[in-house]
Amino acid sequence: MRAAVRLFGERAYDGVSVDDLVHHLGVHRNSLYKTFGSKRGLYLIALRRHLVDDVNPLCDALADAADVTDALRLVASADLALLLLAAVERAPVDEEVASEVTAALAAIDQAIAGALGVPDDLAAALTAAALGILLRGGPDNAATALTRYVGLLS
Amino acid sequence: MALIRIEGDRLVVVIEGLSKLWAFKGGMSIPLANVRGATADPGIAAEPKGIRAPGAHVPGVIIAGTFHQDGEKVFWDVKDATKAVVIELADEQYARLVLQVSDPRATVALVENALV
Repeated sequence: MRAAVRLFGERAYDGVSVDDLVHHLGVHRNSLYKTFGSKRGLYLIALRRHLVDDVNPLCDALADAADVTDALRLVASADLALLLLAAVERAPVDEEVASEVTAALAAIDQAIAGALGVPDDLAAALTAAALGILLRGGPDNAATALTRYVGLLS
Repeated sequence: MALIRIEGDRLVVVIEGLSKLWAFKGGMSIPLANVRGATADPGIAAEPKGIRAPGAHVPGVIIAGTFHQDGEKVFWDVKDATKAVVIELADEQYARLVLQVSDPRATVALVENALV
């Protein structure tokens, strides 16, 4: 299942064919259908595995974050490829994916709010900023600048 | 070529044209509760299909009818592999249907959305 998480996280849902899954997962096509029902069925299980393997540990680490800089660094350095692709590609057209993505982002918000003792809306804004930093390849001064301004506000 | 539509809580499959003859079946109606999912899968036509009975298999031209493989019955109606959709079933005569449809992406969305 980690191979499926990696594959969908690298190539997106539409970019992965059943041929790719058969090849990379080393399963027979018939047993893939018998086990998961469809490519979407397999994708949903891979997405949930990603949340357990990658997002839950991030939330645990965030619970111990000392400050805003720490929280931003943890999110921006996490492996969230499949979550981000799911949010962009599948959540708008798949209700089940949308609810998994929403729950995962809410868990990150909660972890930040709890660790830093900030209101939920500020925690959500920090998550959004951290994901933006991750998407933009982590420009060095973004986290520093954000930390400075959040410090001024609080 | 197959036409697929949702009627209430059933998936209705109508086999069109000449393949109706090869496939020996005009269509079928399956409760959605027994439909596990749908997937566009152009690569499946290149896989071994097992033993055919009854139906027609002219390699490279048409695959239609019932195929038996690994203790499963699979219904095929595919001429153009690029338009093949796999519909996985449970508690039905067929383990899965492999059908050619005019718009695989739309068919997959239709079936998957009906299952949510």
